[in-house]
Amino acid sequence: MHREESHNDLGAIRIHDNVIASIAAVAAAEIEGVKGIEKNLKTGILELIDKKTANLSVIKVEKDKHGDISISIPLIIKYGYNVPEVASKAQENIKIALEKMTNISLKDININVRAIERG
Amino acid sequence: MRFFTALIIRFYSAVLILFGLATILLSLNLLPAATISEASNYLLSNINLRIIVGLSGLLLIIVSLSLAQLVLGRFQREKTIAFSTASGQVTIALSAVEDLIRKLSGVIPEIKELRPDVIATKKGLSVDLRVVLKTEANIPDLTSRLQDITRAKIQEVLGLEEQIIIRIHVAKIISSEDKDRKHTDKSIPAVPFSGYSRT
Repeated sequence: MHREESHNDLGAIRIHDNVIASIAAVAAAEIEGVKGIEKNLKTGILELIDKKTANLSVIKVEKDKHGDISISIPLIIKYGYNVPEVASKAQENIKIALEKMTNISLKDININVRAIERG
Repeated sequence: MRFFTALIIRFYSAVLILFGLATILLSLNLLPAATISEASNYLLSNINLRIIVGLSGLLLIIVSLSLAQLVLGRFQREKTIAFSTASGQVTIALSAVEDLIRKLSGVIPEIKELRPDVIATKKGLSVDLRVVLKTEANIPDLTSRLQDITRAKIQEVLGLEEQIIIRIHVAKIISSEDKDRKHTDKSIPAVPFSGYSRT
């Protein structure tokens, strides 16, 4: 897990990938039509150890050689909602939330719609 | 990459064929145990040959692992529909589309069960529906309605403009009599030895 680092007069500020993932998860869940983040077997096992960060393991935060950050988030969409519209709103909300809270501008916000469930 | 894959597969096939031939020759007694013993003794006698044999074994292990990764990776790769927006890419798993179609069984009361199988092709989406009907409804009419509803729902929810081919297979028709019989069977509990009486 890498950390986004910035410096000021007093020292360095490092933001962990889990923080970026948490903000993205909360921002995505705020959108109407998003049921939640899809869990997998790995999440289930990690939940037994640490419930707080288990869900974040499915959110991939990647940094390329130019330092640009991309995020991939697997979502479950509620039945009856327009999927591209919900996904697009989620991308926008994640972008706004991350810029507002961390000053990090993401290169790509990739949404993977993994399932459709009744809300 | 394709050349590399083909090379690995051919190499592995050649090794397996040689091993198979050796086993056949051994079973037919055309490859005497003494020859094998001599060959192994010769290989073990020289340090350079031993290194070559060891490295060959290592190469075989690496090739096997690469082949396993290739085959499994191909199976594990999830099939999705993807499109790009200004902020990034959106991928929709075909299983999510299947979830969406499955939920449609509640819209048409005549359908008892709906099992979709979605395949993404170059032309568009191909949807195979396996349905179990509740009553002896007019099948052409019902299936046509189901095709229209499915197509409309996919277009509405996913915003797809590509061609959507929907094939329907009616797997079973459960008549109302069957349902009633099952219902009465469940509602009246069977009393043991109820058919017997004292004379």
